Amino acid sequence: MSAAAGAAPASAPVAGGLLTVDELRRDFGGVWAVDGAGFTVKAGSITSLIGPNGAGKSTVVGIVGGAVKPTSGRVMFDGEDITHLAPHDRARRGLVRTYQLSSEFGKLTVLENLLVAAPRQRGESLLTLVVGKRYWREEEERHVVQARTLLERFGMSEKEDEYAGNLSGGQKRLVEIMRSLMADPKLLLLDEPMAGVNPTLARSIENDLVMLAREGLTLLIVEHELDVVERVSDSVVVMSLGKVIATGTMAELRARREVLDAYLGE
Amino acid sequence: MNATAYYLTTLLVYLGVDIMAVWALNLQYGIGGVYNFAFVLFQAFGAYIAAVLTLGSSSGNGGFQNYILGATLPFPLPIIAAGLASGLLAVVVGLVALRKLRTDYQAMVMLVISVIATLTVTNDTGLFNGPAGLSLIPQPLSNVVNPSSVGYQWFYVGITFVICAIVYVFVHRVTSSPLGRALRATRDNEAAAEALGKDVVRLRLFVFVFGNVIAGISGAVLVQFIGAWSPGSWMYVETLVFLTAIIVGGTGNNLGVMLGALLVPVGFNEATRYLPQIGRPGLIDALQWIVIGMLGLVFLWFWPQGIIPERRRRFAPTPPGTAPVSGSAGSGSGAPLADPTVLGEPR
Repeated sequence: MSAAAGAAPASAPVAGGLLTVDELRRDFGGVWAVDGAGFTVKAGSITSLIGPNGAGKSTVVGIVGGAVKPTSGRVMFDGEDITHLAPHDRARRGLVRTYQLSSEFGKLTVLENLLVAAPRQRGESLLTLVVGKRYWREEEERHVVQARTLLERFGMSEKEDEYAGNLSGGQKRLVEIMRSLMADPKLLLLDEPMAGVNPTLARSIENDLVMLAREGLTLLIVEHELDVVERVSDSVVVMSLGKVIATGTMAELRARREVLDAYLGE
Repeated sequence: MNATAYYLTTLLVYLGVDIMAVWALNLQYGIGGVYNFAFVLFQAFGAYIAAVLTLGSSSGNGGFQNYILGATLPFPLPIIAAGLASGLLAVVVGLVALRKLRTDYQAMVMLVISVIATLTVTNDTGLFNGPAGLSLIPQPLSNVVNPSSVGYQWFYVGITFVICAIVYVFVHRVTSSPLGRALRATRDNEAAAEALGKDVVRLRLFVFVFGNVIAGISGAVLVQFIGAWSPGSWMYVETLVFLTAIIVGGTGNNLGVMLGALLVPVGFNEATRYLPQIGRPGLIDALQWIVIGMLGLVFLWFWPQGIIPERRRRFAPTPPGTAPVSGSAGSGSGAPLADPTVLGEPR
């Protein structure tokens, strides 16, 4: 089978995916930013979403994350229809996203940024008011150990007590990734994780993402750097004018005329 | 001597009330990022509720005052009821203002609600006796200690600071807990907090209601001391005085805002009493508002963290050999914890 033949013409959602986006449509004042997009993200894979500016990637990411409501269509996650769930309910089910612009909690330390994300914390319950610290101290200690292990893993231990707002752009990206991991995700949705990051650190983040996927985490990445996409992705979804025009590996997509015309070039 | 004692005790009661108020507003604005420009409304509502629950029937005292409810509850029930009533009002206002609107619009709504409330209470004379307000409000435990004695003044200072201490316990439980951390995260980046599973509306509603319960209690403590309350006591600009105290003292820091309460609503207001007369009578009082506003702006511009900045939270070192939480990537059961040496180069 040729590479070209291996790429699906325009993705129909397939069964068995962790995330399935089905016939999504969204209009803004009569302009269809997303016009019938659909794709599937398989569990344990890295899927990249690419396309030219205005293709509708950000809107799709917004819809999948819950920040943007679709005009029609459906988002299925882990066998459940989450189309109408609020973003925090999606995160609690394991769909955690990061943002294109740095979104650290600037006046919290790096360690606190991670601790915030731990799910289902006893210390966030109103019983804290009644019982006090003894209600949550033990659990908090466990979360601190968990967060420090992540900091060590990502080489950020020395920054533990630094305000996240004082970090460099690349370090903020790392904090966001670590924080997302603390949230106990099944799928991590990363919106341009390399944006504004120096090439050395970007390469390092790339390795981190591949390593996470090998450990079983599912990743959906929006990325403009095609070299990065090629290196890390198991599958690539190409969008243009609000539609998914092809899916496949980068090698497969490079052989597709409509993909070349729409985005990749000659 | 008596006059000095009266002056001092009055200042201390006002200080206690203001400290409670700034703790409450700091919880909302400094910790939770909720711009509650209607704060003084909830303090005033608590004051009114405490007043009508101690005054007895409105036909008493010759029936010269018209008001709702009318009961003679013993201390401390009117204060507790005031807190609960303000909390209830906060639920209603919060459900309207905090669910759908962006924070800047929330601020505008709060300001408008504050103005509407003042006009309503002023014009509806059957509610809390209109513009004349309520007076002859009995002081608590006045059957035990003579309320016109200096001893009672000091006794009331004691009551105020005991209530302050109780309030502080609860405020500290919030600010030092993961709940406080979630609120600060919401303050710093609402969308990111929501994307991590935090129910931002619920968090904001909680801090709004909790802060306004304290506001109601502070109002009740004040009204039971001064014995009178009218719309002139709680114009919307009073909220700005508390806000300035927080900005000056240190937004997000309970100790800092206490200092702010001492410096701005108490210290600054009192200091101007001793200034020599300048210009026409009343000019200094009029300038007070301008200077307080400018003080807030100057701090925001040059010293935005305030005198005592928000505390940096540091955690005790993890004891060697402590086992990390188990789990693997994508399992939905704990963060991935591969061998740290794999990727552990400092960045």
